[in-house]
Amino acid sequence: MPPTPPYLGEFEYAVLLAVAHLRDDAYAVPMRTFIEERTGRAVARGALYTALERLEGKGCLTSRMGDPTPERGGRARRYFAVSALGLRAVRSTHASFSRLSEGLETLLEPS
Amino acid sequence: MTPPPQLPTLAESLVRRSILDADWREAVTGDLREEFAEHARRRGPVSARRWYWRQAIGLALRFATSRLVPSMRPRRQWAMADMGHDGRSRWAWLTDGRYALRALRHRPGLSGAIVVTLALALAANAAIFTLADALYLRPFRFTGVERLVVVASAPESDPLADRSSVAPADYRDWTRESTTLTDFAAADFWDPNLSEVDQPEQLAGFRVTPGFFRALKTEPLFGRTFLDEEASPGRDRKVVLSHALWTRRFGADPNLVGRTIRLNGEPHEVVGVMRPGPSVPYGAEVWAPLAYTEAEWLERRRGFLLVLARLAGEQSIDSARAEMNAIAARQRQQFPDTHAMRQVSVVSFTRGLSDAGAGPFLAIWQAAAALLLLIACANIANLLMARGTERQHEFAVRLALGARRWRLGMQVLIEGAWLAVCSIALALPLAALGVEGLRRGLPTSVLRWVAGYEFLRLDLTVLLMTALLGACATLFFSLLPALQASGAAVSDTLRQGGRTATVGRSRRWLGTGLAAGQVALTLALIVASALILGAVDGAVNGALGFDKRHVMTARLTLPDRPYAEQERRRQFVARVLDRLHGIPAVESLGSVSFLPYAGASSSRPIYPEGVQLTPAEVRQADFQRATPGYFETMRIPLLDGRSLTDADRDDGRAVVVVSRSFADRYWPGLSPIGRRFRTAEDGPWLEVVGVSGDIMHDWFMNQRRPTFYRPVTQDAGLSLAIVVRTTGNPLDMAGELRRAVTAADPDQPILDLRSMEQVVADKVGGIVYLARALAVMGGIALVLALMGVYSLIAYLAARRTQEFGVRMALGATRWQVIRLNVRQALVITGLGLAMGTAIAIVLGRVMASALFGLVSLEVMPIAAMVVVVGVTALVAGFLPARKAANLDPTVALRTP
Repeated sequence: MPPTPPYLGEFEYAVLLAVAHLRDDAYAVPMRTFIEERTGRAVARGALYTALERLEGKGCLTSRMGDPTPERGGRARRYFAVSALGLRAVRSTHASFSRLSEGLETLLEPS
Repeated sequence: MTPPPQLPTLAESLVRRSILDADWREAVTGDLREEFAEHARRRGPVSARRWYWRQAIGLALRFATSRLVPSMRPRRQWAMADMGHDGRSRWAWLTDGRYALRALRHRPGLSGAIVVTLALALAANAAIFTLADALYLRPFRFTGVERLVVVASAPESDPLADRSSVAPADYRDWTRESTTLTDFAAADFWDPNLSEVDQPEQLAGFRVTPGFFRALKTEPLFGRTFLDEEASPGRDRKVVLSHALWTRRFGADPNLVGRTIRLNGEPHEVVGVMRPGPSVPYGAEVWAPLAYTEAEWLERRRGFLLVLARLAGEQSIDSARAEMNAIAARQRQQFPDTHAMRQVSVVSFTRGLSDAGAGPFLAIWQAAAALLLLIACANIANLLMARGTERQHEFAVRLALGARRWRLGMQVLIEGAWLAVCSIALALPLAALGVEGLRRGLPTSVLRWVAGYEFLRLDLTVLLMTALLGACATLFFSLLPALQASGAAVSDTLRQGGRTATVGRSRRWLGTGLAAGQVALTLALIVASALILGAVDGAVNGALGFDKRHVMTARLTLPDRPYAEQERRRQFVARVLDRLHGIPAVESLGSVSFLPYAGASSSRPIYPEGVQLTPAEVRQADFQRATPGYFETMRIPLLDGRSLTDADRDDGRAVVVVSRSFADRYWPGLSPIGRRFRTAEDGPWLEVVGVSGDIMHDWFMNQRRPTFYRPVTQDAGLSLAIVVRTTGNPLDMAGELRRAVTAADPDQPILDLRSMEQVVADKVGGIVYLARALAVMGGIALVLALMGVYSLIAYLAARRTQEFGVRMALGATRWQVIRLNVRQALVITGLGLAMGTAIAIVLGRVMASALFGLVSLEVMPIAAMVVVVGVTALVAGFLPARKAANLDPTVALRTP
């Protein structure tokens, strides 16, 4: 039996969604821009790294080191991808939120 | 494309260091670089760098704790840390450390006060120790210096003894007879004029025996030192130059050795150039062989040789001293005429050649710094104790929950350690600043003579000492309250609900004692600085006996060979004075051998007519050769008889003007006019024709020295100073004076050209500097003491807030409540002033004897300072008392 998907915090949820959106370009720099643009809130760099590390620790993300590039002073990018467990966690969180908002469409959708 | 702007590497290394995982480190720094480049493109490099720093610090702060303690989950509470899971205790000290840091941050005012107080005191100590070490304890740091000694014909006990006092024949005897000392060397003052160059200059030099450099174990950089045969008249026109002189005047020319330079107008061959390093003795820049004739070597009556020697084999300085004393005793018997009063002293090279005055000064400074540290410690103890009381409840809870007492002790110690770390971290830059201030502050006029100036920087030893001192002080004083706290019974403290109505008797007395001690030490320090300030003011602005304003001076030394004849010296003086005479701004002018406050003097034994004196009774008086205009120019009053005149000629009777104190010493109550004395038992008689006012010749001797003045027309010397009184700014005369001297002799350098006010200021520069620094320390001490009294009274009052509420509710007036608190302040102040006055008197006595009569212990300054400190302490006590009484009783009652 597959393990139960872990509970996601709000920010972790946002990070997982960002990784899913960015696909092959999912490393910290565009991730931060993406979340900031979509949510309109500033994202602390440290918080993002911490969240990424925690999500990887929980098994929701996998990561790989890319090729070093000159613009980064020969340093590699760390690319992330949503794992199967992560996908289930996102679905479960999404489903929970959907159920919670059922019947409130008139309130939530701006007319 | 423009090249990428410079990344702040320090910031990047900060980020790198705060991330343990290698992959993460690479990813994060890479991300930062990528965004940095983007940022720089859009906002420019400066903004980008600032941005990078912000990111780096943010990341470092975020990761620092997780890096230290990987398992850090939600922060554990302090009570839990004591529960004693032994498996986790590896990190317990870290938890304690973090908790301690939080506890300190919780009271920023208190912690800040402790840190600043201690840092100031530590910095003062470190800076002054550095100064004392460089200038007095270890001014000479070449190998073997600890085996070198200075032998002098002077009593061992006299700190101001003239070390250049050995007669040539004595030197020869010692060299022959001593077995405990080897490598004897002698040096004689010789300040030659570097002549036939664009700018003639007087050099500081010495004539030395050929073994001189061997005794010092120094090797020349180029060439050689002196050969034994060069120590004979006629073959002695050889010189060795110091590295400093070689670079300063000869452009570090490597081919200088073998060439000839002119000194005192005579050719001297340069045979060697020394390595850079200490210029021994007394900042010498040039050395020549000491070439006495055989007759000169036999001179036993007096001498001016500075004698160095090296301890032979395993000999100690004590055995050398014993042997030299035995030799001196034998000489006393062998030569009763000349040696009856002669003593010998053997002192270390360092003691013999460092400035005798520096020791007592620096000792006073160091003592003041130590006092400051004590005051700071008392302050810290009181502050920590106040804090300890506040935390009694917390400790009681922890004890009740099962914490062991040693663990609480550890907790306090760790807090102490944090305080120590912060204080030391702050003290080190402050000390460096202090040392730099001391370096800059040293008057340049004395620098050349200050051996060890080049060592005036913070070294590792001092830093470690400071750190150790700081650590000991804080740890010790943090433990005091902890010992008290851990002794308290848990149940009592808890039952009281943390409200101790009044503070325990013993603690209260300890606090009072500490605060009173602070007041006492502050008073002592302030009295000391007031005494010195008073003395300095007297030396600078007091009754000097002459008028230093509007007088320009030039000092020079005529070389002895070209000016061997009296007539030539007289002509030189006359030419210079004549030329200056015609200038409209010149009011009057004259010359004298030694300017007051210029550091030099000359003396002669006095044999008054009609009195038979034994050798022991003969006393010395200062000897000056002056022109008539000198008295007028310096405004030294003529009290009796007549002044010197130009009519006093070589062929007339030998006349002299004496100072008031001279007349009082030899003819008390009688008119000295017409009386006679001589300066040698078989010398010519000198007749007193006038009495002049006394002047202060040197601030160091705060007494008027008996002086006699001979007219230059009858007795002209080689050392002379020209003084010119002008109607305007004396410094405007500098050019005229220089031209006048050059016109009289183009090869004659001027030793220095200063206004009389500058001469005085330069001479007292050192002590003015000392006095100011002491005053600063006194000020700091006063602030610390004020803080100490204030915080203690405030703390005691705060502990009794509830009691005051009850009293006021029951009808006590505000004033009665204030009185309750002020009583404590009165006790502190009274005790402090009593102890402080006693310490101040002792300290004043010590200073009066250490500073050779410069400082005199007077009642007025002490009384004034008692009032200042007393009032300050009372105000510091009154303010918190009033604040306590201003509380609304209903509020006060509810205060926990």
